[in-house]
Amino acid sequence: MNRLRAWFLAPSWIVTVSLFLVPLAIILFYSFLTRGNYGGVVLDWSSDSYRRLADPLYGMILLRTFWIAGVSSLLCMLLGFPLALFISRSGARKNLYLSLVILPFWTSFLVRTYAWMFLLRDTGLINTALQSMGLIHSPLPLLYNDGAVILGLVYSYLPFMVLPLYATLERLDPNLLEAAADLGAKPGATLMRVILPLCAPGIRAGTVLVFIPCLGAYLTPDLLGGGKSVMAGNLIQNQFTNARDWPFGSAAALALMAIVMLLLLAFVRSDQEGLL
Amino acid sequence: MNRRCFLMAAAAGLGACSRDRRPRLNVFNWSTYIDPQTVPKFEAEFGARVRYSVYEGNEEMLARVMSGNSGWDIVFPTSYIVKPMLANDLLAPVHHDLLPNLGNLEPHFQKPDWDERLEWSVPYMVTAAGIAYNRKLVPPPEAWEDMWSKRLGGRITMLDDPFDLLGACLKKLGRSINTSDAPELRQAQQAAIAQKPLLRAYVNAEVRDQLVSGDVLAAQMWNTTAQQAMDSSSEVAFAYPREGYAVYPDSSVILRESKHQELAHQFINFLLRPDIAAANALAARTTTTNWAARKLLPAEFRDNETLYPSPDVVARGEWARTMSPESQRLRDRLWTEIKSA
Amino acid sequence: MKGGRRAGLALYAVFALLFLHLPLLILALFSFNASRFTVWQGFSLHWYQEAFHDAELAESTWNSLIIAAVATVLSTVIGTLCAYGLWKRRAPVLSNSLYLSLVTPEIVTGISLLAFYQWVFRFLHVQLGMHTVILAHISFSIAYVVIVVMARLRTVDAKLEEAALDLGANEWQAFRFVTLPVIWPGVIAAALLAFTVSFDDYVITSLVAGVDSETLPMAIYALARRGVSPMVNAISAVIVFGLGVLILVSERLRSA
Repeated sequence: MNRLRAWFLAPSWIVTVSLFLVPLAIILFYSFLTRGNYGGVVLDWSSDSYRRLADPLYGMILLRTFWIAGVSSLLCMLLGFPLALFISRSGARKNLYLSLVILPFWTSFLVRTYAWMFLLRDTGLINTALQSMGLIHSPLPLLYNDGAVILGLVYSYLPFMVLPLYATLERLDPNLLEAAADLGAKPGATLMRVILPLCAPGIRAGTVLVFIPCLGAYLTPDLLGGGKSVMAGNLIQNQFTNARDWPFGSAAALALMAIVMLLLLAFVRSDQEGLL
Repeated sequence: MNRRCFLMAAAAGLGACSRDRRPRLNVFNWSTYIDPQTVPKFEAEFGARVRYSVYEGNEEMLARVMSGNSGWDIVFPTSYIVKPMLANDLLAPVHHDLLPNLGNLEPHFQKPDWDERLEWSVPYMVTAAGIAYNRKLVPPPEAWEDMWSKRLGGRITMLDDPFDLLGACLKKLGRSINTSDAPELRQAQQAAIAQKPLLRAYVNAEVRDQLVSGDVLAAQMWNTTAQQAMDSSSEVAFAYPREGYAVYPDSSVILRESKHQELAHQFINFLLRPDIAAANALAARTTTTNWAARKLLPAEFRDNETLYPSPDVVARGEWARTMSPESQRLRDRLWTEIKSA
Repeated sequence: MKGGRRAGLALYAVFALLFLHLPLLILALFSFNASRFTVWQGFSLHWYQEAFHDAELAESTWNSLIIAAVATVLSTVIGTLCAYGLWKRRAPVLSNSLYLSLVTPEIVTGISLLAFYQWVFRFLHVQLGMHTVILAHISFSIAYVVIVVMARLRTVDAKLEEAALDLGANEWQAFRFVTLPVIWPGVIAAALLAFTVSFDDYVITSLVAGVDSETLPMAIYALARRGVSPMVNAISAVIVFGLGVLILVSERLRSA
């Protein structure tokens, strides 16, 4: 039995070790080296890259990344909760609505980001429509700022919030709500004191599923932020391409990974059945 | 298992069917820097295939070729990038006996300061960086100083290139674009950071369409791209700033990793032919380094103010020179900090 | 629930669903616009024609399809075997590594693979190309396949295999003839998922692609950076439709 199981798992082991763990080890190695004169690395041990990360400039980038990810997660929760509530109460058509929520997510991420470029540009649909209606005279700068990035992120990750919320709302025992009503609670109080606390696991799962990808976002701030809204992902990518500073980029990448793992450890409880 | 075997076989079969036996040259050049007919003509005449791809900036090109096994045969670095590429062992020597058309280059481009004997590079076109603007902007910008003016808020862009951006800031401060002086460079960095709130984006030739449509009122731009925009719209104009500007000769180089060195030489020689060079200059709206080609250019193109400005304007231009490694490192770091600020 | 509030919630849901779908629908709508500007000037298939005749786009699409096909086949096989192995007995290090590969930001996976390849290339005379992209795609797709197949395996009664073993089959036969047919819809669903994920990838692919391996997302990104062309709308509409169909089929299979 063990031998067969070993054969079954062997290919995954090979791929995971060689194409995931070893590369991570390499960038860990690189993060302690020095940059060559015009790029590349030279075998000069130094913790300079990590010390540079401590510079307040990069602290600001991290803060901004947290800020954008945080606002996006909050908006996802505010927008997603009523939607999840509606779906959980729509009886027979639940699956239809769930499919409708999931469908945009599974089409190309790049296309969905581009869709917002198309809408928010100065010559885009929103500005053209507002101008033709006479509401404004010159285009509003809707694109290339933090707001556009947040909008893009909320749009991309909203389904990730809706699904876990729906899962917990669905398991909500309607008797509890009846009991609350019998005891004289108004709908608002029922919401705050009964529904929300019971949904805490779903809210937690949804927040993690939105916040963490937002932390590592690269494409959305790149296309919708116009290169001005530098988030952690953009900084890392830049070091490995245009700036050619691999040691510093590696240090930044590992710092981001460390943050992600800390957040996961803090939020994911062991009472949830693992995915794998 | 059967299905998988079938799929792999089908893919392999299809791959084999479409394999072309002609040699393939991979050329990586700046965007809109060549006549669309040049590559087909070369392919027809020399029985080769050319994969022609474009990039928007030196940094983008360097990031790809730095590893030494990128797959490209010919790239077109700006003058100050040639020596660093040589220092990193990326270049193959240029054999003059394989380039009979070399004599078509203008005399001072046959002995350029970045490569005295043309051992590693062959000059291609010359560009300069100035300010392209939409005529809606009144009064029109005349100096780098004007790109820091509050009235332009949100409607200006600067080039997404460390040398260009720092160069503009240095000129605004009255310094040389090639300086290695750290305090001067830091002052330039401060100026760039001060400008950031007014800036829409750091972007290269891609901003052309937005300039034409008027989304962007003024952009730091190369004269070739500006001329292309001016061709699409009389609304666009170009100015060489009062404080001075940077001049960039671009050259073709053959990468040491190239497996088609002779074919690469043939391509470069082809580019040096007067008719081809003239067609390229005309199509790309650039200043050519080829005197034989210049004679073939139509008069109104030769006298174009943007591409062939008057002597007093030319005198204000400063040629980009290779920097010392320390200066390069400082500039790279300052660039990261500007972008992250 | 009171009628008024229910209606309010339903109205909100309509707006929320519109928010999710309208941008894509508008994008697709304007791909049929005769004019290149955002003012409707009549119905036209001009942009589709331009897209279909673009040689570079054709090559990118072809590359994307080949990469996705090969990566899908390999990652589905490897992932299914892995899920089965994990179903029988836990392997915490492997499961955690797979989980980690899911949550690692794409940019980090991409640059680490780039660093890995460049380091390997010092010893082997290879370059970045289709093979490096395919390997990268396999690497990040396996976790998705494992999740989907695992979910399916959890619905399978382990006693079926026990019965087969009692009747004289060896372990491989038990897997091949008893369990595999039962989870087969899940495997196909996982394959479709892996295909979608691979086809759509931009961040990792752009970092590890070589001269000959530009993919469709890379081509779209380059066009989108240049700003204005409705050709991107046309390509986007085709992709949205194609991937949408694949995903609907995958969902059907998964709940079959």
